Amino acid sequence: MSNTPMLEVRDLKMRFPIGGGLLDRMRLDKKGFRIENPVVQAINGVSFKIEPGEVMALVGESGCGKSTVAKTIARIYSPTGGDILIDGENISDYGFSEMLPVRAKMQMIFQDPFASLNPRQKVRDIVAEPLLEQTKDAKSQKDIPAEIEALLAKVGLNSEHAGRYPHQFSGGQRQRIGIARALSVRPGLIIADEPVSALDVSIQAQILNLMMDLRDEFGLAYLFISHDLSVVHHIADRVGVMYLGFMVENAPRDQLFSKPKHPYTRALLSAAPSIKPTRDKEEIELTGEVPSALNLPSGCCFRTRCPFAWDRCAKERPVLKDVGDGQSVACHLTDEPEREVA
Amino acid sequence: MTRFFASEFFFNYTRNWSAIIGSALMFAFAFAVLVGPFLVAQNPYDIASLDLMDSYKPPMWLEGGDPRFPFGTDGQGRDVWASILYGARISLFIGLAAMCASCFIGTFLGLVAGFYGGILDSIIMRIADIQLSFPSILIALFLMSAVGTGIDKVLIALTAVGWVVYARTVRGSTLSEKQKEYVQAAKVAGLPNHKIIRKHILPNVLTPLIVIATIQVGTFVLIEASLSFLGVGVPITQPSLGLLIKNGFDVLFSGLWWTSVFPGLAIMMLVFGINLFGDFLRDELNPRLK
Amino acid sequence: MTITIETQTDQPLLELKDLRTHFHTFAGVVKAVNGVSFKIGAGEIMGLVGESGGGKSVVGFSILGLIESPGKIEGGEILFDGEDLAKASDERLREIRGRDISMVFQDPMTSLNPLHTVGDQMDEVLRLHSNLDADARKQACIKMLESVGISQAEERLKAYPHQFSGGMRQRVVIAIAMLAQPRLIIADEPTTALDVTIQSQILKLMRQQIADNGASMILVTHDLAVVSEMADHITVLYCGQVVEQGKTRDIIESPSHPYTRGLIDSIPDPTDRMARLNQIPGNVPDIRNLPKGCNFRARCPRAQDLCAEQEPTLKPQHNSLVSACHFPLQPGEK
Repeated sequence: MSNTPMLEVRDLKMRFPIGGGLLDRMRLDKKGFRIENPVVQAINGVSFKIEPGEVMALVGESGCGKSTVAKTIARIYSPTGGDILIDGENISDYGFSEMLPVRAKMQMIFQDPFASLNPRQKVRDIVAEPLLEQTKDAKSQKDIPAEIEALLAKVGLNSEHAGRYPHQFSGGQRQRIGIARALSVRPGLIIADEPVSALDVSIQAQILNLMMDLRDEFGLAYLFISHDLSVVHHIADRVGVMYLGFMVENAPRDQLFSKPKHPYTRALLSAAPSIKPTRDKEEIELTGEVPSALNLPSGCCFRTRCPFAWDRCAKERPVLKDVGDGQSVACHLTDEPEREVA
Repeated sequence: MTRFFASEFFFNYTRNWSAIIGSALMFAFAFAVLVGPFLVAQNPYDIASLDLMDSYKPPMWLEGGDPRFPFGTDGQGRDVWASILYGARISLFIGLAAMCASCFIGTFLGLVAGFYGGILDSIIMRIADIQLSFPSILIALFLMSAVGTGIDKVLIALTAVGWVVYARTVRGSTLSEKQKEYVQAAKVAGLPNHKIIRKHILPNVLTPLIVIATIQVGTFVLIEASLSFLGVGVPITQPSLGLLIKNGFDVLFSGLWWTSVFPGLAIMMLVFGINLFGDFLRDELNPRLK
Repeated sequence: MTITIETQTDQPLLELKDLRTHFHTFAGVVKAVNGVSFKIGAGEIMGLVGESGGGKSVVGFSILGLIESPGKIEGGEILFDGEDLAKASDERLREIRGRDISMVFQDPMTSLNPLHTVGDQMDEVLRLHSNLDADARKQACIKMLESVGISQAEERLKAYPHQFSGGMRQRVVIAIAMLAQPRLIIADEPTTALDVTIQSQILKLMRQQIADNGASMILVTHDLAVVSEMADHITVLYCGQVVEQGKTRDIIESPSHPYTRGLIDSIPDPTDRMARLNQIPGNVPDIRNLPKGCNFRARCPRAQDLCAEQEPTLKPQHNSLVSACHFPLQPGEK
């Protein structure tokens, strides 16, 4: 048990074909061959591990695949390739009934506090939902109401709230309800997909504090998806930086923030606005925008915006390489550091 | 109930004249249909109570009118007013029943098409397209020639056309609800698909259907009337408002206008009331206009 | 209630005096803006900060005369160059909008018309607000697009909004906003929908455009970090009222209002990692049903009996600050 990571992802791949209608599938080119539908390459081989009780953050800009990674691990999507191991168990091709016991080990918190709760359900039913699926015998089902009250108390709501509907709550309170729902089956891993990005700063701090308290109390591991570096710096033990479906850097938090290696990580850090702008920042400014995931650039995915790119970057796709101290980077600069100076 | 009277819905209702008129007309018809037949002396379909001597009496306020028959009588001496009350019953029953059947079938197919997508979706929606290109009159004609007339055939003909609008609406809302995070949360919670559809998607796609269903009752009453008018609708023994118009139409140009004009007015008022109220519902229930 | 911070210029470009904008809904009167006053001098950037429900966007809409029923400007003055926009006719407001005051919204997709080309939409602004002929207008549009960093500007004029990416679209919106060389730009969460690397590009662009044209800007945002990098002055709103105003540095370094302090402390600070963030407890009160006394009282660590009885008014505090608090923080006090 002690050696088994809570979550291990190996070479995860996810593709989404676009356009699935009958007629779309029957398009032919001039020679009469069927035209393949365009494919969004959302995740292109991502690997990482989360130990029990550890907080791993995935950061990156919109469209980098971080949310898709989260939802694929939660098996909202079925992965196109690669392995997902929850507590040592490979769930990547599990069907519905095989997944059910796994869902007691892994739950999810969602981004939008308004869309993530069914407006027609009472709080009590929302929170009980995962638990009800896990408890099939009538005797334990009788304990659920008491359990729900205890859970609501844990996240800072009271039993009076249980009979209300989601629209009677503020964004922060709704997010607490979502957290209680995820906690109801006492999972070891919680996947949090941008859990605070829709909240006001003062409420954001409340939710982050709550999540950390719960981690200490239940020994939770988090996969924390965020685009906000200051939040990630606050909560994570380890950070993975994603770009266009690739993991470009993966390092312990302090390492990543003090010695970022990948040019994209460095650009992200320098672009993040800070309340203390006096802090001397490395200025790497990116030009242009993220290329389309329908049509990935050859070689390194970041080369179209990278200030250091040279011909090798167009030919050869860099892979994640260990550079010591638990930090790994996917960049040719690690082989030829002298390029950066020039 | 006190909560209803304190609600914004009721507040807006009391300030909307067309909604009040519409619902008043609807309630008047509901009342007439439920208790009306007990208020008139004559049962127009009980041959024994008819007297041929009373045939083609004009409305009571015209010369030769008879106070027993406020809107006059037809060729068999049937009271037009009593016929309307009995006929509205059949018309409304057909409208409501066909609406319920359409709503049920359409919602089910829409949920399936929207949720599962893929081939199932393509098949259901193509059938819906084909269905739309057949007018209900054609289907009714076909059914009549194959199995004869009857209320059940009218219902089938109406439902065959009516389900499409529900299926399309529900499919659309299902597609957007399916993307919402609470449906994903239900998946993560381990709910099987049929439970996700029943507990999460169905309750959230119903609201727009209320408007469609209301207005559809009016539409169905009209379609049924035209079917009956063309002679492919209800049988002569169960005359709806449409059939009354047809029966009167034969003698319309002989100056005996009342036998078809009054049933026609009845249909008009009924459909008008339903549409007024439906428009109010549409404004109230549409979140985009809020 | 009309104490405002002094700016360098004597005649401010825009002065709000006790602006009140209310919404009359079925559930009660929402006092979205309830007594907001501030001044902006020429060339200045004012950051309007607050959480959702603070009324910050409504201030922007009020200035532009874009408040629609059930909303209504109930009182106060909006003095733009000495002219009260709160009393101006619709016709006059249309004249001012786009020419003297323009707006940049959060979502570039909704502020651009998807059915018209970018060129048409830019041309329209100039047709309405300038006397240039067609050719000169086109040249002006091309020049503007180039200045916001869009290459091949001449071809891009023929493109439709959906053919641009999110960041590019926001550049187009900024280009349209700057076209008529307005004197005031109201930017409502202009970068909230964008990624950080794009955000920093857009912020840089806006700062440069403001400087080049000598315009002023009201930057409406919830993000204190963005404001602290952009604005000269900050106005903090809570429940539709100004709780604190002052120079950006003074507010960020040592605010006098506990709410501002709480907002700043809620942001995780990468240079000083604490086990727990200093959160503001509780939630924003229901704006239809505000408590007596200070609106922030229930969430305030410094609240005392007085706060429940008497509503605090704006008073000068240390440095350049003005705040509405009975028990303000002193410099250096946490």
